[in-house]
Amino acid sequence: MSDEEHQFESKADAGASKTFPQQAGTIRKSGYIVIKNRACKVVEVSTSKTGKHGHAKCHFVAIDIFNGKKLEDIVPSSHNCDVPHVNRTDYQLIDISEDGFVSLLTESGDTKDDLKLPTDDALLKQISVIWLNG
Amino acid sequence: MNGSSDLGQLHATMQAIEFACSSIQINVNPAAAEATILSLCQSPRPYQACQFIIENSQMANARFQAATAIRDAAIREWSFLSPDEKKSLISFCLSYVMKHASSPEGYVLSKISSVAAQLMKRGWLEFTAAERDGFFSEIKLAIVGNHGLDVQFTGINFLESLVSEFSPSTSSALGLPREFHEQCRKSLEQDYLKNFYCWAVEAAQSVTAQITNSDAAVSEARVCATALRFMLQVLNWDFSNSSRVVKNSIDVFSFVAKEDSNSSYTLVQPGPSWRDILITSGHIGWLLGLYGVLREKFSSKAYWIDCPLAVSARKLIVQLCSLTGTVFPSGKYFSLESYAGVSQGNHLVQLLSGIIEWVHPPDAMAKAIECGRSESELLDGCRGLLSIAAVTNPVSFDDLLKHIRPFGTISILSALMCEVVKDLMTKDMEEEPWSWVARDILLDTWTTLLTETNGSGVKSLLPPEGINAAANLFALIVESELKAASASEEKEEYFQASVAAMDERLSSYALIARAAIDVTIPFLTRLFSERFARLHQGNGINDPTTTMEELYSLLLITGHVLADEGEGETPLIPVAIETRFPEHMETEKHPVVVLSWSIIKFAEQSLDPNMRAAFFSPRLMEAIIWFLARWSSTYLMTVGEMQSCKNSIDEVTLLRMQNSRKALLSFSAEHTQGKTLLEIIVRISLTTLISYAGEKDLQDLTCHQLLGGVVRRKNICAHLVTLDSWRELAHCFTNDRVLFSLHASHQRSLAQTLILSASGIKNSVEANQYIRDLTSHMTAYLNDISGKKDIKSICQQPDVILGVTCLLERLRGASSASEPRTQKAIYEMGFSVMQPILKFLEVYKDEAAVVYLLLKVVVDWVEGQIIYLEPHETALVIDFCMHLLQLYSSHNIGKISVSVSSSLQSEANAEKYRDLRALLQLLQKLCTKDMVDVSSAAIDDQQTSISQVIYVGVHIVSPLITIDMLKYPKLCYDHFALLSHMLEVYPEMIPKLNHEAFSHISGTLDFGLHHQDEEIVGMCLRSLSALALYHYKERGGGRDGLGPHATTYKDANGNLQDGILSRFLRSLMQLILFEDYSMDLVGGAADALFPLILCDHDLYQRLGNELVERQPNSVLKTRMASALHSLTTSDDLSPSADRLNMRKFRKNLNRFLIDVRGFLRII
Repeated sequence: MSDEEHQFESKADAGASKTFPQQAGTIRKSGYIVIKNRACKVVEVSTSKTGKHGHAKCHFVAIDIFNGKKLEDIVPSSHNCDVPHVNRTDYQLIDISEDGFVSLLTESGDTKDDLKLPTDDALLKQISVIWLNG
Repeated sequence: MNGSSDLGQLHATMQAIEFACSSIQINVNPAAAEATILSLCQSPRPYQACQFIIENSQMANARFQAATAIRDAAIREWSFLSPDEKKSLISFCLSYVMKHASSPEGYVLSKISSVAAQLMKRGWLEFTAAERDGFFSEIKLAIVGNHGLDVQFTGINFLESLVSEFSPSTSSALGLPREFHEQCRKSLEQDYLKNFYCWAVEAAQSVTAQITNSDAAVSEARVCATALRFMLQVLNWDFSNSSRVVKNSIDVFSFVAKEDSNSSYTLVQPGPSWRDILITSGHIGWLLGLYGVLREKFSSKAYWIDCPLAVSARKLIVQLCSLTGTVFPSGKYFSLESYAGVSQGNHLVQLLSGIIEWVHPPDAMAKAIECGRSESELLDGCRGLLSIAAVTNPVSFDDLLKHIRPFGTISILSALMCEVVKDLMTKDMEEEPWSWVARDILLDTWTTLLTETNGSGVKSLLPPEGINAAANLFALIVESELKAASASEEKEEYFQASVAAMDERLSSYALIARAAIDVTIPFLTRLFSERFARLHQGNGINDPTTTMEELYSLLLITGHVLADEGEGETPLIPVAIETRFPEHMETEKHPVVVLSWSIIKFAEQSLDPNMRAAFFSPRLMEAIIWFLARWSSTYLMTVGEMQSCKNSIDEVTLLRMQNSRKALLSFSAEHTQGKTLLEIIVRISLTTLISYAGEKDLQDLTCHQLLGGVVRRKNICAHLVTLDSWRELAHCFTNDRVLFSLHASHQRSLAQTLILSASGIKNSVEANQYIRDLTSHMTAYLNDISGKKDIKSICQQPDVILGVTCLLERLRGASSASEPRTQKAIYEMGFSVMQPILKFLEVYKDEAAVVYLLLKVVVDWVEGQIIYLEPHETALVIDFCMHLLQLYSSHNIGKISVSVSSSLQSEANAEKYRDLRALLQLLQKLCTKDMVDVSSAAIDDQQTSISQVIYVGVHIVSPLITIDMLKYPKLCYDHFALLSHMLEVYPEMIPKLNHEAFSHISGTLDFGLHHQDEEIVGMCLRSLSALALYHYKERGGGRDGLGPHATTYKDANGNLQDGILSRFLRSLMQLILFEDYSMDLVGGAADALFPLILCDHDLYQRLGNELVERQPNSVLKTRMASALHSLTTSDDLSPSADRLNMRKFRKNLNRFLIDVRGFLRII
C-alpha cells in the first residue's frame, strides 16, 4: 500500500521553473493555481463582469494543498495566472515505528524516515490494519 | 382507555392531555408532552376519551388535539369499526360544530369539521345514498340560515373542507390507492357539487339585503364572503368532462391550443348540467349588483376594496369569466334577441360591464393608485381581461365592449398597458411596484390574444383599431425598455442578466409588434439607424456606453420580432412577416431586408480592430451573436413553401404574398447573397473566439448557438466547407494555440461543429480526409507526448497538462460528431490514441480532472462507434475497454486519502463518483452493441459475447462502488439501471459470477430496495423479478438455475445462511407489508414476489403461517389467513410464471394489501 506526500519547494518565492503562466480563463475546477504564493487546488471557479460593458473576471476559490486553508482570488480572465508544478511521489511503506513515525521506501531504493503518521485516529487505524495484513 | 372505562378514567385522560397541551404552550418539557399526546393518537379506540375531552375540556388546545386523535385513530382502524360507529363519529363532529358555532375558538371548529370531512370521505363509498343525504340534510338546513348566522357560516365552512378533501390536488392522504380518491371525486361531482353551489348561492342571497342596508360592516358580510369563497372553490373544481367536451365541440373558440400556454388562468368547463344554476339563474346579475352597490356606498372608505367580501366577490367574478364549453348552448356565440342572457357572448358582456368599472378610465385609476388607493381592484380587472381573452378570439374580444361603450376592449387593454408602462418608467424595480404585477398580467393577456390558434390566420388577427393600438403600445414599450437600458447603465452591479433571462417578456413584446408588423419594422429600422449614427458621430469623444446599452436592448427586441426560437428544430418565418407585406416585391426595399441588412452591416464593423476596441464590448457582441444565430436559423438559405393559411384569401393577395415572401428570402438565398452573408457570420465568429479571450458567455453563444445552429442544416454545410473563412477557422483550430484558451465545453463544441460540417462534402473519401486533417494534430501530439521517455516528469508540467486536456476535450467533441458517412475517420482517430490513453491513465492517475476526461473520451467514442464496428474491431475495442477498466481499478481500489482538508476530501469523493459514473456509462454503451448493430457481420460470427464483457466489467467495477458511493443519486441511478438491464437481459451469466461479486450485487440490491427514490426501488424490483424468473424457469427445465447462490450454505461462523432468493423473499414480504413505500410500486413488487414465491414455496408457507400466528386475536387471524389464501388462489391463479398469471397476481396483491396493511401496520 502506498502513501502520498506533496512536494512543493518554492513557497517563499515562486521561482520561474516551479510555476507556469496560464490564462486565467483556462484554469478549471480541480486544477492548480498559486494564490498568495501558496500552491492551491481550485474548488470553485465563477466568472463575473465589471460594469455592463467591461470584461470578464474569474473568481477562484482554492484550497492550499498543504495546510487546507481556503484562499480566494479575482483575476481578469484574459490575464495570466501562475500555475504551480505539483509533483506527487509514491513511497512504499516498510515499517511503522513505535513513536508514530513511518519508514518509507523511495523509488531509488533509499528509505525516508522523517514523516509521521497522520493524526486522524480512524485513518491511523485503517493504515495500521492494512499494514498488519500485509 | 377502553370503551368500558368509567368517568374517572376519562377525567384522568383529559387532565393528562390538558396538562400536556399547556406544557407545550409554555415550553416546559415539550418532548414528554408530545409523547403524551402521541400516545392518545396511537392508542386503540380512543374515541370515547376524545369525545369526552372535546365536550368537556375548557382548553381549546386540548379539544384540538383530541380531534386530531379521532382522525388518526379512525383512519387507521377504519376497517374494524362497525357501520354505526363510523356514522356516529361523523355525526358527533358535525353536531358539535353546529352546536358550538358561535364559539370564539375558530380553529378548533374548523379542525373538527375537517375531521368530519375526512371521515366522511373515508367512508364515502361504503355509505348508501340515503346515509349521505342524512348528513347533508342537516348541513343544508344550517346553510340556508334556519339556525342563525354562525351556524350558516359553520355549515359553509364544512362544505369548504369537504370539497377540498374531495379534490385530488388538496386531499389529505388516507393511505389508499389513487382510484379511491378518483371515485370519490367523481361521485361528489355527479351527485352533490351542484347542490352545494346552490346552497351557497342561497345563503349569500339571503343576507344581501342586510348587507346593503347597513352602513357598517355587519356579521352577515362574513357569511356572504364565505359563501362567495366557497362558490369560487367549486368553480375551481377540476371538472372531469372538460377536456373531452372541448375537443368534440365545434366551437368558434379554439382554446385547446391556448390551454398549453402557461398563463395564470384556468378554464372552467362544468358541462351542460350546470347551465341552469350558473347561467340562467341570474345570480351573476345579483353578484355584479351587490358588488356595484357596495362599491358605490363605500367609495369614500379606502379599506373596503381589500375587505374579504370585496376580494371574494371580485375573484368570483373573474373566475366566472373563464366559464366556457358546453355549459353554454352550442350554436350561436352571440344572440342578443333570441336567448337573452344565455349565450357566452352575453355572459361575457354582462361580466365586462361590471369589470370595466374597475379599470376605466385607466389614467384616472393609475393616478388614484399613485395617491394611495389600493391597486387590488385594478389588478383584478386586468385578471378579468386575461380570463376573457382566454375564451375568445381577438375580434370578438374587441367587440365585447362595443356593446356597452363607444370603444372596443382592445383599446381599453392597450390604454391600460400604456398607463402601466408609463408608471413602470418612473419606478424603481426593486420595490416591485403594482405596475410590475399589472404588466405581467396584461402581457399574458396580449400573448393569449395574439398567440396563433390553429384556425386564425392572416386577416382576423386584430381589427384595424387594434393594430393601431398595438403599434402605439409597442412604440411605448420600446421607449421604456431603452430608457431602462440607458438608466441602468450607471449601476455598478451587474447581475448576470443573460440574454435568455428576459426571453419570456420579450417574446410577448414581439407578439404585440407582429400584430402591427408593417409599422413596427420600419420603426425599429429607424431606431437602429439613429443609434448607429450617434455612435459614429461621437467616435472617441463621448462615452458610447449608453448607446451601446440601447443597441443591446434593441438587438434583443428585434431578434424576437423577426424570428422565433427554434429549440433545435428549424423555425419557420413568422406568419405575420410572410403575409403582411404584400406590397413589397423588391428585395432591396423589403422592410425586413432593410432592417436585417443594417444590423449585419453594423455587426461586420466588429471585424475592424479599432472599431472593435472602441464600440464592441463583450456584452454588445453577445447580443450581436445571439441575433445572428436567431436570424440565420430562420432566414439564411431558407427553402420551402409558405405556411398554408386556412383563412380564405383571394388568389391575387395570395400571389402577392408569395411574391413578397420570395423577395424577402432572395436576400439570403443560396444563389444570391447567402454565401456572402455566411462568410461575414463565420468571420465574426472567428473574431469572437480569438479576440475576446476569456469571455465565456460570448464564446458560449458563438459555439453553441451560432455555429452549432449553422452546421445543423445540410444545405448550409455544403457552402460552409467551400468558404475561405471556414478554412481559416479550421486552420486556426488545428495550428493556433490561441484557441487552447477556450473553455472546455467550447473546445468540445467547436471540434464537433467542424467535424459535422464534413456532411457538406459530397465525396465520402474527401469527407473522411477532411476529418483526418482536422484531427491529426490531436492524435499526433498525444502520441508524441506519450511516447517520450521522460513522460513521467514532463506530464506534470502545467502547460503539458493544459495541452493534453484541451486535445482530449477536442477528441471528445469529435467523437460525439460521428455520423455513418464519416465513421471510418473517427474510428481511426480513436484507434490511434488507444495506447496514449492507457499511458496517460497511468501517468495522470493522481490528476483527477485528466482521468475523468480520459474516461469520458472513451465513453463518447465508444458510444458513437460501437454500433458500426466489425467483429475484429469490436474485439479490439472491447479489449481496450477491459484494459482501461483494469488499469483504473488497480489505481483506485482501496485508495485512502490523507488529505488534511475536509473539503479537499469531499472533492476527492466527488471526483471518484464522476469517474465511476463514466465507467458505468461505458459498460452501458457496450451493452448497446447487442441491441443495435449495423456492422456487416452476420449474427453468428459475433466473436465476442457482450454479456461476457459486461460481466467481466461488473467484476472490475463493482468492488469500487461502495454503499457510500451509492449515496450520489446519479451514480446510484446508473448503477441500478445497469444492474437491472444486465439481470434482465443476460441472467444466464449470474451462476458464473464468483461468490464475492455475487454477494456484492445482492448487497446493493438489498440497499436499493430500501432506497427512498421510487425509480431505484422499481429497478431493484425488476432485477429481483428477473433473477427469480430465471431461476424458476431453469429449475422447471431440470437445470441448475442460480446454482450455489440460491441454496442454503454455511457461512464462515458455521451458521446456516439462506440462499439469496429466500432472503429476498423474506425482505420483500417485510417491505410490502410493514414499511412505507409508494403505492405505485405495488405492480413491480408483485412481479418480483410471484416468481420468488414460486421458487421457494415452502418458505412462503412458513412466512405466511408466522404472519397468521402473530395476529393477537382470532378475528385477525382468520382475516389474515383468508387474505393470504386468496392472494395465491383467487382469480384462478395457477402456479406458473407466465404473463397471464403475473397479471392476475398483480391484481391479487393490490387487493391483499388494501385488505391487510391497515391492521398489520397498527400492531
